[in-house]
Amino acid sequence: MKDNFLWVEKYRPKKIAEVLGNEDAKAAFVDWLKSKRRRKKAVLLYGPPGVGKTALVNAASNEFGFTIIEMNASDTRTEKTIMKIAGPATSFVALDKFSTETKGSLLFLDEVDGVFGKEDRGGIGAIIRTVEESLIPVVMAANDPDLQKLRPLKKVCELIRFRQVRLPLLIAMLKRICSMEHVEAEFEALERIAQNSGGDVRSAINDLQSLAEEERVLRLQDTTRLTPRNRNIGMFETLKGVFSARSLGEAATMLNRSNADHDDLLLSISDNLPLRYEDPVDLSVAYDLVSRADVFRGRIGAENWHLLRYFYNFLAEAATVCPQSYRPFEFIFPPIRIITLFWTKSKRMAVDGICAKIGARCHVSRRTAKQEFLPFVKIVLEKEKSNAIASWLRLNTEEIDYLTKMNKF
Amino acid sequence: MVCLNKKSFKLPFVGKDTFLLLMRLGLDYNKGQGSYCIKNCNNIEKLLDTIANILNTEKVTFLQSCVMCGKDFPCTDCRYYDLCATKDLPFRCVCPQCLRNERLYEEHVERN
Repeated sequence: MKDNFLWVEKYRPKKIAEVLGNEDAKAAFVDWLKSKRRRKKAVLLYGPPGVGKTALVNAASNEFGFTIIEMNASDTRTEKTIMKIAGPATSFVALDKFSTETKGSLLFLDEVDGVFGKEDRGGIGAIIRTVEESLIPVVMAANDPDLQKLRPLKKVCELIRFRQVRLPLLIAMLKRICSMEHVEAEFEALERIAQNSGGDVRSAINDLQSLAEEERVLRLQDTTRLTPRNRNIGMFETLKGVFSARSLGEAATMLNRSNADHDDLLLSISDNLPLRYEDPVDLSVAYDLVSRADVFRGRIGAENWHLLRYFYNFLAEAATVCPQSYRPFEFIFPPIRIITLFWTKSKRMAVDGICAKIGARCHVSRRTAKQEFLPFVKIVLEKEKSNAIASWLRLNTEEIDYLTKMNKF
Repeated sequence: MVCLNKKSFKLPFVGKDTFLLLMRLGLDYNKGQGSYCIKNCNNIEKLLDTIANILNTEKVTFLQSCVMCGKDFPCTDCRYYDLCATKDLPFRCVCPQCLRNERLYEEHVERN
């Protein structure tokens, strides 16, 4: 009789040893979990989907006797709900810790990179507070740890990286599932499934089940039904792939697969062009193409997404002006503009504060105060620091010093 | 392409800034032997690019360790080299000899 189980559930690892691949990550996680004096109270497991992050946490807690308190993407993860569930769980030692069968509780927050939007307001802040106050180990899992909103979280966590599972191990596992399920499979068909999954164990097992469950026979021609999976790649991999591409098509494919923000992509490619091209003629051609891509980025706006292909095409062309001249170089990332904004934040805030005071006294907007008043106030103050204007504007000594020393606004 | 052994390899003199960058990216330096080894793989792509820059070569790869027998072997020896989406990384895979093993999965689980 055919069972109704999903094979991914049926063959979910029960022991750490059954989690496929990522031996170094597994060892690092087990060491952290076993350690009595952890350097950091939380650990963030990150990597592409289907490589065993959640499976490892479940298997490890099963093996070491932890009780899992789990919150995943299906739960609403606002500040309130996180504090309601995680707060008591992490601040009190569970009674079952004194039992011989369990080692206590473990808080597992799956897919933390999915904590966003109106529904999950304040979620990341609540998670950080929970980690800082927690008495129990906190484990988190995410696909993309480079997201800006996860940066504060990374500071309080130990990071363990997971990678795609290697092809031979994946094929060996598929072979075993076939023998357990009495599926007669051609070896080449299993190779094709493993290759198509791109190191994602979950999707490989799902593909195998969808192709072989009905007939219990799997031939190579059956795998033609498989559709190639779109893998999202991060900014670093995108830049590397785009700049090292041998052809326009290759670069365009990399851009299509990228999950980086379009504006960041434009800025990053523009920043890295001088490192990529030594020849000024190539560089000028590339910048011309980037400027055209920028035009299309403006035309796309928020709704004309059918123009995205032109944006990608111009960027890909800019990166492949002279493919044969590629030499590896260190990429500039994040974009210089973003870094500059970060470094000048305190300066901008100080100027904003001064402009607000001028605006309030002179009944003008901050912008007008900055453009039309500030340069003259600066000149006046440079001549005499403690004059009547400064006291009338209610500027304090720090602001006066700041104004007189700064070069430009 | 240059293939190195992750447990011990030598680089030419790199200067203070590059040395600090290499350490930050996950290398460790053995002062006695004057050799480097990989301590942390979290920034491995950037590390490989930096080493390729130092050695002035297009690509640097490291030998793979077999998860079954522990033998070091280059990725190019593998029959799946052209099909593999995760070439050269991470540094653990199955060597061509162990690949012939019919009970690969079971033995891998037992070994773990």
